[in-house]
Amino acid sequence: MRNVIVYVEHKAGQTRKVTFELATEARRLADALGGKAHAVALGAGAKSIAETLKNYPLDTIHVNEDGEVDSYLLDPTIDYMEALAKSVDSAVVLLPNTMLGRDVAGRLAARLDAGMNSDVTDIRPEAGRVGCIAPKLGGAQITTCAFKEGAQFGVVTVRPNSFAAQAGGSGAQIVELAKPAGKTYRMSIETEVEEASGEMGLEEAPAVVAGGRGLGGPEPFETLLRPLANALGGTVGASRAAADAGWVPYSLQIGQTGKTVSPNLYIAAGISGAIQHKVGMQTAKTIVAINRDASVPIGEFADLLVVGDAFAILPELTKLVQEARAHA
Amino acid sequence: MKIVVTVKLVPDTNATKRIDPSTKRLVRTGLETVLNPYDEYALEAALQLKEKIGGDTTVTVFSMVPETGKEIVRKALAMGADDAVMLSDPALEGSDVWGTAVAMAAALKNIGFDLVICGGLADDGSTGGVPGALAEYLGVPGVTNARHLDITGDALKAQRETDSGYQVVNVTLPALVSVTMAVGEPRYPSLKGIMGAKKKSIVAMTAGELELDGKVGASGAKTELLEAAAPAARAKGQIVTADDGASGAKIIFDFLKEKKLV
Repeated sequence: MRNVIVYVEHKAGQTRKVTFELATEARRLADALGGKAHAVALGAGAKSIAETLKNYPLDTIHVNEDGEVDSYLLDPTIDYMEALAKSVDSAVVLLPNTMLGRDVAGRLAARLDAGMNSDVTDIRPEAGRVGCIAPKLGGAQITTCAFKEGAQFGVVTVRPNSFAAQAGGSGAQIVELAKPAGKTYRMSIETEVEEASGEMGLEEAPAVVAGGRGLGGPEPFETLLRPLANALGGTVGASRAAADAGWVPYSLQIGQTGKTVSPNLYIAAGISGAIQHKVGMQTAKTIVAINRDASVPIGEFADLLVVGDAFAILPELTKLVQEARAHA
Repeated sequence: MKIVVTVKLVPDTNATKRIDPSTKRLVRTGLETVLNPYDEYALEAALQLKEKIGGDTTVTVFSMVPETGKEIVRKALAMGADDAVMLSDPALEGSDVWGTAVAMAAALKNIGFDLVICGGLADDGSTGGVPGALAEYLGVPGVTNARHLDITGDALKAQRETDSGYQVVNVTLPALVSVTMAVGEPRYPSLKGIMGAKKKSIVAMTAGELELDGKVGASGAKTELLEAAAPAARAKGQIVTADDGASGAKIIFDFLKEKKLV
């Protein structure tokens, strides 16, 4: 593996923030391996996304605005990715560890007969090998897993917020990626329904304000948590208890059977912090909890636990954050 | 119609997990294991489909698991699956994601299916890439993160969750789907189910039947574990009691300012 290919996940003309993190890491990794840093954007809006990526230290950005990428699920994407990987000849492919990124990664790894390292939080290239650091077993073990010597391809999904994005590049080349010939696609997308449009992906939000059983119903998620999340430039999450009660959709659930998040700031309101929740948020850089009960498990690992009434504290906190932003 | 559900045995979330420094594998001796929580939802989705479609629809449980994993397979049978296949072979130990997908695909081809249903993730490795890789090796369409499934004849219509909503996707069987928790709470095994499970067939399959030469086990893996260590525990932080909303908000705000988070 010499070169690096970044898969660009984007939607409605917006690329995910994690793409810039991956582009920055791709440069560092390609330099260490003595190869080139590539990115690939496919489907509607790919060319304008490529323009925004020009500010990052990539060598080549491959694009194709093929409409079939958007009207068929995954098949066209995998065909393009396979063709690019084989033309680049020897590469580690970086994808975001998101719902879509994991899908593309699994299928591409099979297509290339490649090894896969997933939910990686750091990459250490040593002696031409790519070592991937990842929390496994619910964060109980931090593992370093490398692709074997001489592997031609490797597929890596990276947990968002693991690398700092740093703009700066001498202007990558944008080239058209040829459409693979003679392919048939079998999964047609009939409709796409947005239930939370404009919602930032929970997995890559820089700040997450999460609510649990202690909030008592669905309303506080919108009236208390959302304004604070907006003021912090983040999004809203939930514990399993809140999702099971039907207060929020399962897509907002954080924890063992939900999403894993790693934001700069995690605020937990009315969440006790049982292990099933902890495994989904324990790598947050700062954890603040608000709970009426001083003896909740989250007090054992939060950086700050305020014992008090979330219903009284959150609106006041939102005001303070909004004022600070207005004066920033 | 033949539905096959893939299930996996994982360490209980609450159990202490150690990796043996010499073998670089999880120490399973004395470790409490459970049916992967995600897979219970896959089984629930399969049983719901069986109830809806009726006729000669059957649900087969497939697990790549050591002999000791029979208990979890029994649990799946007690929940309502018709029969089970266990792929158990010491040669499979130490397989990585790639080897696991190759072995599972070979076994599933051998078993035969109209629809394969997987859980979205595994609770231990959490790679989430296996369903996609499986679909690829089986050469069938793979719809991941489905929250609702409708089958008419050989047409499958799935609602597939995205980060911000869902897509309605159409495919023709045979196919593979992975499901999310939104398919419905998994049923508990009834007493009748538990008694009946003892009489259901569990077929044993070995790696030798599948021609997996050089692809499985640690030697066939594409990746190798170099190191594993318990992370540094997060230190216990401050615990402060707030008398009212304003003082609680101020405590948090000052803390965030100090951390340069506002």
